[in-house]
Amino acid sequence: MKKHYKFILAGFIMLFHVSLWGQSMIDLRLNELLITNTQDYQDDFGMHSSWFEIFNTGYGTVDIGGCYLSNDPADLKKYTIPRGDILTKIKPRQHLLFWADSKPHRGSFHVNFTLENSEVLILTSSDGSTILDMVRLPSELEPNRSFGRLVDGEGSYGPGSDNTGWAVLSRTSPSTNNHSLDGKSRSEMMKETDPFGWIMAAMAMSVVFLSLVLLYLVFKGTGNIALRWSQKKADAYHKAQAVPLAETSGETFAAIAAALHLYANENEVHDVESTILTIEQVRRNYSPWNSKIQSLRRSPDMKKK
Amino acid sequence: MDQIINNLQQFWEYTGFANVTYQHILMICIGIVFITMAIVKEWEPLLLIPIGFGMIIGNIPLFPGLSVGIYEEGSVLNILYHGVQKGWYPPLIFLGIGAMTDFSSLISNPKLLLIGAAAQFGIFAAYSTSLLLGFEPSAAGAIGIIGGADGPTAIFLSSRLAPDLMGAIAVSAYSYMALVPVIQPPIMRLLTTKKERLIKMKPPRAVSKMEKIIFPIVGLLLTAFIVPSGLPLLGMLFFGNLLKESGVTRRLAETARGPIIDIVTILIGLTVGCSTQADKFLQLDSVLIFGLGAMSFVVATAAGVLFVKLLNLLLKPGNKINPLIGNAGVSAVPDSARVSEVTGLTYDRTNHLLMHAMGPNVAGVIGSAVAAGILLGFLS
Repeated sequence: MKKHYKFILAGFIMLFHVSLWGQSMIDLRLNELLITNTQDYQDDFGMHSSWFEIFNTGYGTVDIGGCYLSNDPADLKKYTIPRGDILTKIKPRQHLLFWADSKPHRGSFHVNFTLENSEVLILTSSDGSTILDMVRLPSELEPNRSFGRLVDGEGSYGPGSDNTGWAVLSRTSPSTNNHSLDGKSRSEMMKETDPFGWIMAAMAMSVVFLSLVLLYLVFKGTGNIALRWSQKKADAYHKAQAVPLAETSGETFAAIAAALHLYANENEVHDVESTILTIEQVRRNYSPWNSKIQSLRRSPDMKKK
Repeated sequence: MDQIINNLQQFWEYTGFANVTYQHILMICIGIVFITMAIVKEWEPLLLIPIGFGMIIGNIPLFPGLSVGIYEEGSVLNILYHGVQKGWYPPLIFLGIGAMTDFSSLISNPKLLLIGAAAQFGIFAAYSTSLLLGFEPSAAGAIGIIGGADGPTAIFLSSRLAPDLMGAIAVSAYSYMALVPVIQPPIMRLLTTKKERLIKMKPPRAVSKMEKIIFPIVGLLLTAFIVPSGLPLLGMLFFGNLLKESGVTRRLAETARGPIIDIVTILIGLTVGCSTQADKFLQLDSVLIFGLGAMSFVVATAAGVLFVKLLNLLLKPGNKINPLIGNAGVSAVPDSARVSEVTGLTYDRTNHLLMHAMGPNVAGVIGSAVAAGILLGFLS
């Protein structure tokens, strides 16, 4: 009976982990925040309030509905992000902005606390206890300046986060990247660095060769081991006469196998012609789907008078 | 009366006759040529018949907005085409290829792997030439992969790097794969001497079951760790092979190499054919792609043959490789290996090269998947 409990418990733990990991909540990061807002970004009500941003570092959509936000380490569940709101789904490598205006009745993205006079901002998983990310707010931050990760999603994170990778940013960037790339695709960069494709050709051919040379070396090695092993067995069997397996082709073994097959089935069905070998399948594979009983349409029964 | 005439006029505007252009007729004719080649010459009928018929379907002149055409969102053909666009048909084909491929010849003589690597040179020759002709690097990479002679890989890569050119690239790759028996033999003859063509290779040794089981696992680990972007293709190829070689998943292996590959081949062939809609397909770029495709096949074949000749300089007399198997490094499985066999037999009726040629042939599949992974990694 105890065994059953163990299995049930293990099942629950697995289920819990699957739900947590399946949602990829571990990919979520607090990314940028602004404490005193007098002239910066406005909310839908035209108000200037503190804001913060959550970034999905993963390559799958994450629904943060059911997660918690707080500015109090003693109360991780201070604000519950509502479930069932389609807007709480963060697309891959995208951001979601929250207003810290202590006016939760204004919508899912208005939390019930402010960042002013707060020391910390915490994002907690839907289990209510796993801290996904936290950031210690800077004690002195000029109004309308934001504090954020220099590169989106990069730097320390989790319950022990020490704000590594965070700094006062040169410009605020609510709902957009803190660090923007120069916009050139890899293809464009390749065109600039390698206009004729020769570097690419040399590099790629080297990698192809390297992969296949590695395979060659591995299978040369495993082949030698396999041969030595088989040779050992063969030598033990033929103590008097040595049979070099490395020089014996697969065709020889196939011919011996065919001869043995013919000998063992001397009286079985095979062609009379000496040059043609016929291998027939004797046993038919049974499948219930072949059965007439399983047919969708059955032939009508003819009643005999 | 006016109403009836108006209705008839509208009906006429809906018909193909009212919307037909000479480009449609040309593409339909090409489709018929493909079907004829497949039936009369038996060149790759499993591919050319679906592609050829797809070309006819895709070039029936349509009144725009009927939600029937392959490029119209939500149409049946468009939904089927998703497998090509999103690149999930090619890995399924690779699953089937893995489940039907016997890697024994490669395992017994692993140096044949290097021929498969050398033949990938065609890809990068076409890549460089495409850049010279003014194609963007991502488009050049997609065009270059035609030289890998691997339809599913070409579709997979072009769907990621140059979706607009996918129709032309896929049709070009499959056409040249069908024409392998025509393209390769003259190059093979040109680059080899009579003495070289008569080289008899040592028969492959017997390969144990354990070696066959280790191959897909180690093969996947080594290649995918080097080129993770090739994982969809390499993963499915080696997974299919493990299903075959493990000996305990016969039903799964049979499904992978039977019904799954058949269904996906039908869908991929038909939808690729349909994607050659005249207005999207008949452009100067398509003509250039066909030219570059031919060039890459020629270079790949030549590189394979020349590499064997080079390798022979380093090998002992008893271990020489017949350069006629060099062409099999392009991964048109098993046609290029069959070309080696047929060409070899014309010079010596007792010299069977098929089993030896299968080694570089399957190495070519691995090599082209690795090359595709590299191109994807650098250019996407």
